[in-house]
Amino acid sequence: MNDDGLLIVRVQTRDQVAMGAIFDRYATMVYSVAFRVLKDAAQAEDVMQEIFLQVWNNPERFAQGRGSLGAWLAVVARNRSIDILRRRRPTESSDEVVLHAATDLSSEVERNTLMAKVRGVLKRLPQEQQRSLELAYFEGLTHSEIAARTGDPLGTVKTRIRTALASLRKGMEA
Amino acid sequence: MNDIRHISQEDLALHAMQVLSAEESAAVRAHLDQCAQCRGDLASLSGDLALVALGADQQPLPAGARERFFAKIATEANMSPAADRPSVVSIQSKRPNPAAVWVPWLAVAALLVVSVTLGFEVQRLRLALEAETEASGRQAAAHARAQQVLDVLSAPAAQHVLLTAAKTPPQPSGRAVYLASRGGLIFQGNNLAQLSEDKTYELWVIPASGAAPIPAGLFRPDASGNASVVLPPLPAGVPAKALGVTIEKAGGSATPTAPIILAGAAPTAGE
Repeated sequence: MNDDGLLIVRVQTRDQVAMGAIFDRYATMVYSVAFRVLKDAAQAEDVMQEIFLQVWNNPERFAQGRGSLGAWLAVVARNRSIDILRRRRPTESSDEVVLHAATDLSSEVERNTLMAKVRGVLKRLPQEQQRSLELAYFEGLTHSEIAARTGDPLGTVKTRIRTALASLRKGMEA
Repeated sequence: MNDIRHISQEDLALHAMQVLSAEESAAVRAHLDQCAQCRGDLASLSGDLALVALGADQQPLPAGARERFFAKIATEANMSPAADRPSVVSIQSKRPNPAAVWVPWLAVAALLVVSVTLGFEVQRLRLALEAETEASGRQAAAHARAQQVLDVLSAPAAQHVLLTAAKTPPQPSGRAVYLASRGGLIFQGNNLAQLSEDKTYELWVIPASGAAPIPAGLFRPDASGNASVVLPPLPAGVPAKALGVTIEKAGGSATPTAPIILAGAAPTAGE
């Protein structure tokens, strides 16, 4: 069990120190993801507070094994922010999210290194792939909406997103 | 999308981003319920998407965000038990001025929030202090060992021994510094032949008193034939007549087995 796993076990016993450690470790990351989507500090903080409250109240949801805690928080922050952006009812996103993330984000040094690497890889993607991925991921547009906005065929939009993700995975493994 | 052929990676990615239409998502979910392979692919794609999230520029947390979070936790903790106390409610109902009744309760709640926050801060600082103390202990231990090495290397009374092979090239050799008064020994071997897995080199201190040789550490050379033994456990106060190296079985031996691979006479202390 890694360090995050131990902290989650302690949170299950209502250990505020452990919760504080998780908050200190990931709050900036979660807030930044929410802010990237919502572009509004108050709304982004609301999302961040809600997610950490969820961890505090239901740590067993994560303890059941959903991959890396940091990666899970990042994905849930994005999904919840998109729900708010699109003014739709909260999806069951946090319960559904199960992910394979090889990288442990619990170390600040590794987390910062990883973030810098991700940004580097994303910046090197062809412009149209970057744009399609950003519209889908950070603006929550469907592929039809992206196609309508960019004037590209639906299939092209899908392929660009898929190719961008494949390039990201390859770039991170390099 | 096709339930029989698996979901395409493109559609799985869109599903993971929750940007498919309701109908498309329902079809993907129905397939995922039946298909472990696609569930695995989806989990991998979700991992990739987590990386995309990490690509967002980092923003500093708004001031007071942490305090607001812990205040929220404290408030929740205080709210639950209060709901189980109807007697408190009944007292409130008898008061002519409800606002006046809430003032002390609000003060208590505020104090509680402050005390919980302070309590948390104290615990956090205590943990930080423990971590610092532990790190300091590790540094002290490392420093003490480094000092021991320096003492042995620089002591005027240390015996400097040059160990050489009895035969010609390749020339295995060893240098040792032995400080009898402390039982301190540092040995560096070079050009040592590689050994099979079931064998090991063993270093020996041969006492000047004529007593039996004392085992002074097992070692195996690296790929370049170099090896070292640093401060093996040895009794203090045993002047050496010589040092030697033998080849023994992997677990070492209590007595040296011939032949002696390296040997060197120890000059009188201080020479």
